[in-house]
Amino acid sequence: MIGQFIVNGVITGVIYSLMAIGFALVYNTTRIFHIAVAGIYVFAAYMFWVAKWYLNCSFSNAFMLAVLLTMGLSLLTELAVYRPLKNRNASTNVMMIASIGLMTIIINLIAMFFGNETKVIENTIMMPYHRGNIIITQPQLFQALVGGMVILVFMFILLWTKWGLKLRALSTDETLFETLGFDTNQARSYIFLASGALVASASCLTVYDVGLDPNMGMSVTINAIVAMIIGGVGKFNTCIIGGIVLGVLQSLTVYEFASNWQNAVTFLVLLIFLFLRPQGIAGYKQRTV
Amino acid sequence: MEYVFHIIIMVCIYIILVLSANLTIGVANLLTMCQAAFYGIGAYIGTLFLMQFNYSFVLIAIVVMFFTGAFSLLISYASARLKDDYFIIATMGFQLIVYTILYNWTDVTRGPYGIPGIPGIKLLRIIEISGIYGYLCLSLVMMAIVVLLFRHLINSPFGRALNAVRADEMTAQALGRNTIRLKSMAFFISAAFTGLAGTIYASYVSYIDPTSFTLDESIFIISALFIGGIGNTKGPVLGAVFVVLLPELLRFVGLPDSIAANLRQIIYGLALILVMFYRPQGILGKTILK
Repeated sequence: MIGQFIVNGVITGVIYSLMAIGFALVYNTTRIFHIAVAGIYVFAAYMFWVAKWYLNCSFSNAFMLAVLLTMGLSLLTELAVYRPLKNRNASTNVMMIASIGLMTIIINLIAMFFGNETKVIENTIMMPYHRGNIIITQPQLFQALVGGMVILVFMFILLWTKWGLKLRALSTDETLFETLGFDTNQARSYIFLASGALVASASCLTVYDVGLDPNMGMSVTINAIVAMIIGGVGKFNTCIIGGIVLGVLQSLTVYEFASNWQNAVTFLVLLIFLFLRPQGIAGYKQRTV
Repeated sequence: MEYVFHIIIMVCIYIILVLSANLTIGVANLLTMCQAAFYGIGAYIGTLFLMQFNYSFVLIAIVVMFFTGAFSLLISYASARLKDDYFIIATMGFQLIVYTILYNWTDVTRGPYGIPGIPGIKLLRIIEISGIYGYLCLSLVMMAIVVLLFRHLINSPFGRALNAVRADEMTAQALGRNTIRLKSMAFFISAAFTGLAGTIYASYVSYIDPTSFTLDESIFIISALFIGGIGNTKGPVLGAVFVVLLPELLRFVGLPDSIAANLRQIIYGLALILVMFYRPQGILGKTILK
């Protein structure tokens, strides 16, 4: 029985990791507390739904379409809000408040167009797979495989390509990056595109399983932030550790107590980490905290 | 006419809430995301005392303010240890833990069912305030007291010291100010008055449930604060009036309810972004968030 809960936790953890990397991409490099990913997440889910039900796309085509559109929206947030604010020398807290405004606008525009009720992507009954005592449903298999693949592709880009090197350089020192003659604005645009792609894949894989409504973004975003912090701020591979640890932890909370205490346990763990080990499981030791 | 009175009462409650938030966020530059948690704690503690004991309003107010303020010590501890984003996340965590406890501790809070039939406030244990006129007078008086108090606080030595903490904490420390103590006092006062607003709200509506005290409510209070302006008294008052009156104005335009609710949120979001662009201190505010 406990094996089943751990497997479920790991699969949820993959989704959290995707979302955490999407958040960390923006946070580590630009220091913007990008709460608007909650809105971007919901947008991706609805684009997936539209592609599936109105345009009658297959799963993979709908997925691609949603990812592309979401990348566009993510870039739009940078071009329309963050970059102008940066040019006005706004502080990161001011950007966070603007980000909250942005999230409110996106979520409520979607709720206005599509309504507040829960929608489903797939309403057919799918046969689960059995391996010994452990049952894996088909959406869960998709989450593990597609999510794992997206993470692998991202890690490959991060570690082995010129773009990855630039990204790591930007997250270490933005001023130096600019001094050495690289175009910060262009790099930021690519970062927002990549962030949109990761958030969209997390969103599509989740809603394929549990359906979608306009208010689901915030809790996922908060879990992603927690995953990022307990993994370790400043790097990207730590998000994967954090995500999976958080997923398993929440799953074991359900096993041990009940699902309604899940949030309380999550945030207790977060507070313990913030006070006792602010650099997270595998992050850099930082002097400011 | 009762409709107008109801709006005035809600405006008063929100003025107290937003002014309390201003003391920590605007004056001391400590961005918190847990105002609704204190609002909820105040509402539930107030309800407990109103239902169990036959105390006068002044005593209940003091007790509620003391206990809600005591909870703020947790946030003070966090603010001494954590900086910037980490502090914001910690307060967000506190908010969500409080909400989860209010929602799941069904023996005491009745969880999602809420607590109905909260009795009215008693002045001097004899005269029970009931009806909309009583609450109108009470909330107007409380609002006036709080506005005057915060106006005084911001210009007092304490307020100036907080301003110094905002401008440069290191310098304030070097000049001999105990900044941790100053911040703790700011959190205590802020939480205490937020809790008082919670008690007035609980007694006025006579029904509370945890969904009034979510993270979204915290964000709503912060939005009101930043739209109106931070760092002085008139900014927060304007913000509170704006966010409470806007839905009523939209009602007169005659939009269907389903659209009006979302449109209102969109206007708040847009106002927030525009204010951050063109006037980061808020419409009537004084200081800019660092």
